[in-house]
Amino acid sequence: MALYDPELKKAIQKIKEVDAKLVCIQLPDGMKPYAKEIEQKITQETKARVLIWLGSNFGACDIPLGLNKMKVDLLISWGHNVFHKKEGW
Amino acid sequence: MDILFLEAPFTGEVSLNQKTIQFLKDKKVKAVGLYASVQFCNNLDRVKKQLKELKIEIISSLPDRTHVSHQLLGCDNYYNSLRLPQKEISKIEYYLYIGDGKFHPLALVYGQKDLVELKEIICNDPIGKNFQLLDHSFVKKILQKYRASLLKFLNAKEIGVLVTIKPGQEQFRPSLFLEKKYPNKQFHYFIDNVISFDQLENFPFIQLWVNTACPRVGFDDQENFQKGVINLNDALMAEEILSKESILNQL
Repeated sequence: MALYDPELKKAIQKIKEVDAKLVCIQLPDGMKPYAKEIEQKITQETKARVLIWLGSNFGACDIPLGLNKMKVDLLISWGHNVFHKKEGW
Repeated sequence: MDILFLEAPFTGEVSLNQKTIQFLKDKKVKAVGLYASVQFCNNLDRVKKQLKELKIEIISSLPDRTHVSHQLLGCDNYYNSLRLPQKEISKIEYYLYIGDGKFHPLALVYGQKDLVELKEIICNDPIGKNFQLLDHSFVKKILQKYRASLLKFLNAKEIGVLVTIKPGQEQFRPSLFLEKKYPNKQFHYFIDNVISFDQLENFPFIQLWVNTACPRVGFDDQENFQKGVINLNDALMAEEILSKESILNQL
């Protein structure tokens, strides 16, 4: 993960800011092997429980569905930034 | 639910490697279109300085759907995705892509498929310090199959329209324009979380698929569609695309 900065300070700051109890982390394939490290850091620094998204992370257009039903408070998605959807591409 | 996007920026130096610099010098390049993937696009100062030293003009923009200038998404693969004025496009001699892999720079290749002449893409990889030149030869087979699917679409009567329900990808409403444009065709709408390629064969009455999800599915996943697939934008302009002089029609 040394190639890319996971920006964990920002992640933890956001978790504390919104007082998230249940956090879903969505990682691009290249960062998935480091899910354990990220999970540990978050659970050490906050009281949040972490759910690791197993599926795809093609882009900011590819947000997991159904997290609200799981009562997830915060989704942290790595490898992308804000996506401005365009109707009809 | 709150959402936080983290870019995971590259931690190393983002710069032009010697092979890229030599190529730019050898070709006496005067202007490039500079784009990068999200891990690199906020750290292009060194690259810009190097280009300035080489007296190369930098042309760039805020492409469709992106958040910062220079950022290139894989879905920016249409002729107008970069939102560059024609005057600026005509000045560009090469596109210069900063990042690793071929996924993002190939968007610039697909985006030029309907043009007469392609501007090649210089790929400068700051991780592997590699240089590569991309053109349509890298996706020739895909584009050949894509063209065949466009031709098939014009004659097909039963069309399957693939709509995915993820908010960032869902394009159901725009897909309804197909019915106005082609009143003699029968359109069947299929919805899914993500496109389940293994389910396509369960609908044998479909003669051809129109993809409305990620536009790269229509190109990169051609092999997953036994009946063929085209993207929504191209379906709406199929006759125009097939009748003009272009890279796609010359392959």
